[in-house]
Amino acid sequence: MWSVDNKEANIDLLFRNGLKDFEVLPPVGVWGNIFPVIRKKQKPVILLRSAALIAVLLSISFLAYRWSKELSSSLQNPMLAVSEESIQVPDNTLIAENQGRMPLSDNIPGTTDRKNQATDQSGIVEPSDDEYISSFDQNPGTDEGYPANSNNIDIPAFNQTVQRFNYYAGNFKPDFEGLNKLDYEEQKEKINRWSVTAMASPTYYLRMEMNHNELSNQISSSEQSRISYSGGVSFAYKISKKLSIQSGLYYSSIGNEVGGINSFAGFSGYDYTKGDHNFEVLTSSGRIYTENADVFLLDNSGDRVVTRYTNDVFDPTKANLSYINNSLFQNFSYIEMPVILRYKLIDKSVDFNLIGGLSYNLLVNNSVHTVIDGSKYTIGKTAGLNPFMVSSSMGMGIEYSLSEKFSLNLEPTFRYYLNPFGEIPGLRIHPYSFGVFSGLSYKF
Amino acid sequence: MPDIRNIIKGCLAGNRRDQELLYRRHAAKLYAVCLQYSGNDDEARDILQEGYIKIFENLITYKNEGSFEGWMRRIIVNTALEKYRSKHNLYRVDDIDLIQEPDAAPETEDYAGLEAVDLLDIIRELPPKYRMVFNLFAIEGYSHKEISQMIKISEGTSKSNLSRARIILQKKVKLYTGLKKDVVSG
Repeated sequence: MWSVDNKEANIDLLFRNGLKDFEVLPPVGVWGNIFPVIRKKQKPVILLRSAALIAVLLSISFLAYRWSKELSSSLQNPMLAVSEESIQVPDNTLIAENQGRMPLSDNIPGTTDRKNQATDQSGIVEPSDDEYISSFDQNPGTDEGYPANSNNIDIPAFNQTVQRFNYYAGNFKPDFEGLNKLDYEEQKEKINRWSVTAMASPTYYLRMEMNHNELSNQISSSEQSRISYSGGVSFAYKISKKLSIQSGLYYSSIGNEVGGINSFAGFSGYDYTKGDHNFEVLTSSGRIYTENADVFLLDNSGDRVVTRYTNDVFDPTKANLSYINNSLFQNFSYIEMPVILRYKLIDKSVDFNLIGGLSYNLLVNNSVHTVIDGSKYTIGKTAGLNPFMVSSSMGMGIEYSLSEKFSLNLEPTFRYYLNPFGEIPGLRIHPYSFGVFSGLSYKF
Repeated sequence: MPDIRNIIKGCLAGNRRDQELLYRRHAAKLYAVCLQYSGNDDEARDILQEGYIKIFENLITYKNEGSFEGWMRRIIVNTALEKYRSKHNLYRVDDIDLIQEPDAAPETEDYAGLEAVDLLDIIRELPPKYRMVFNLFAIEGYSHKEISQMIKISEGTSKSNLSRARIILQKKVKLYTGLKKDVVSG
């Protein structure tokens, strides 16, 4: 692109070379104006991602539902559930033969009367495919090949399968274990009313601003949630077949990054001029108060650092301070006691539950730090936090039975805090969170 | 120090810290470019803000080919051009006055003692139309044909504006050099 020209003026070279790599520090606050704009433009992307996540969850749920439905329908249909071998000697054929309705029965040892079958197990000759098909042809009326007009067929399909297995094992006896098994399942349902579940989830927190003003915009645009986590143990009691109530104890840790606040060390060396007064910073959760007297805080892009010194008291440009970081990290820990109702929508091998309820959260830890060379550097605490918070939660629970007693749980959950983390005049910011809890439950 | 490719990745993922890092790493150099293209600090600040917003918006189009700093500089220059076009979209009579560009080789002067900040001050004192052409031709290296398309003027006007800019600059440089020498000797 450069025009190589002998006539190129000396003055051009003077300016080109003289201004090459020249740097001038931009005015303070430029980044503060840029950041909210690019953040705002990223919000549709975040919304799209959330929509995509919801779509994926719904798709998985739908597929799982279809799968569980197919599984259950195949279990109800003996023609699909039992092996080909067992199908070839249907009990219905035996019953029909006893009534003298099947002409083929004379040629089929397997279709002689029950007494003979019980005493002579070794002489079994299974019917050919054609014979089997024709036997069905002669018994129209049902899809499954059972005689429609037979009064003898009063045994559930499941029991027939059990009887066939007994027949092949040589232990055939006209028992009703199958029927008893159904009773047993019902009894088991009654017995396993309690369950204990251990679950954990990464959680992402967002904030809903209830009043938009310059201060709240400035604060919210400079703060960013960090991935938090929650986990604990809960007990559930089955009130009815579909409804259960759940409660327990959870521990949750929430992180929040306050950007654009420069922190410097070495401030305690100037105590003789500034006194021992420490800093106060406005955040959406409350006011950060520094407890570390050696730290000096400066807001890059606004007025969130409430504490200021006039230059005659303390001039940071002349002081020998060491830069630490440009973000502060708030950490809050809560003990949660959820009271949750679960309604079973689908009761198959993969269960689906609707979950909703309230959580009572007790603040147990509150700290603020920054990071220097990968290590934590204590700053202080956030004041004005609500010690007791109530959140409402709703979600969807997917439960996959591993065995009679154990099952895997997956619960995408949305949670909205009814009261804000902290109280700052002019600010009403309500957090909400998304999490996908996963864990193991045991029925007893 | 994090690699620029990692910073870009972080910015694209919406990482606020990487976005701020990208800004802080290049802001001083790009602000100097903004000052070079503007007559006052407010305008330079606007160019920097708007330019950076475009940088973040178009970051996905950067293919890791060529200098990233050069890519950012082009965006800043284009932003300055847009600002210029929005303010100077009307032709003036004197824009089409052509003056003869000096054929002779430029005089060699002793410009020792002039610092970058002096050069910046001098260039910012130029009228906007001369400053724009001089910057695009002498600093960025565009041809008169390209400049004519960029700021919607004829090639002749571009050459004429460049000549006038050079004359003014030479005078001012002499003045500054003289003043500096006076200060040193006096």
